[in-house]
Amino acid sequence: MRNALALGAALVLCGAAAAAPAPGEDYLLHCSGCHHADGAGVPGVVPPLTGLAPFLATPAGRAYLVRVPGVAQAALDDARLAALLNWVMREMSGADPHPAYDAREVHALRADPLRDARAARASALGR
Amino acid sequence: MTDLDVRIERAVRALARRTGRRAFLARLGALLVGALGLPLLPIARSAAESPRAPGPDENIPGKEGDQTHCDYWRHCAMDGFACACCGGSASTCPPGAEKSPVGWVGSCHNPADGKDYIISYNDCCGKGWCGRCGCNRNEGERPDYHWVRNNDINWCVSAKSLVYHCSVAIVVGQATEPQPER
Repeated sequence: MRNALALGAALVLCGAAAAAPAPGEDYLLHCSGCHHADGAGVPGVVPPLTGLAPFLATPAGRAYLVRVPGVAQAALDDARLAALLNWVMREMSGADPHPAYDAREVHALRADPLRDARAARASALGR
Repeated sequence: MTDLDVRIERAVRALARRTGRRAFLARLGALLVGALGLPLLPIARSAAESPRAPGPDENIPGKEGDQTHCDYWRHCAMDGFACACCGGSASTCPPGAEKSPVGWVGSCHNPADGKDYIISYNDCCGKGWCGRCGCNRNEGERPDYHWVRNNDINWCVSAKSLVYHCSVAIVVGQATEPQPER
């Protein structure tokens, strides 16, 4: 009976996972309007997502990538936002966050909004 | 004799109309009426700064195929003038207008194949406002207080010219999950 319940729960979870859109789709819907489908951004208007690897070098930089308003306030739950962040880092910046962003980390960071995103960005990059 | 009278009378009256004080008054009247209309003419020049207003084509029934209607499926979150009515198409700006590099992305349901598609709404900039096919459907633009879900923005702020002309609705992918109306 216990095994059957576990199997049922696993099937439900698999079903839920299959129903969620791939991170690439979430990227198109929530990011590409400004950053473009290839992450190139708009020179002088929207920063590119192609060179974000240096942010992962420090805890402040890693936190910045979640706390920046466009990410923290996206209409996505924590788990989907974490998957999207990992996808953007891998696909656009060729970097794998270690450890990967997960729902718990994203939940804590997005609850702590940035007052001055520009200053936080410069600070995270040591500028 | 009567015919001659009538013909002479007409000729004299016509001469009087062309040359007399009544002709002068008639021309003056035409000039005044024409002058009254003059301030109405430069609408296109001043309208660039005016707020957007719904056009006469709003809410025409029919969803499939006709890009010149607001009910065209790709226009589900359109807020502006459909470029297909302005010399462009649903996905291309009219000649002389620049597509805004930044836009708003949502999803629309295509009744022809029953699938949802991801649509990028961009504004075309650098020409005076089009004024035709003013659409204001805004589906998926919810909740209103969520700033990233708000499409009521002139995206020409990201273009070389701030002047808004019309909007395009470009298919950028297929959506497995329709944009929720929260």
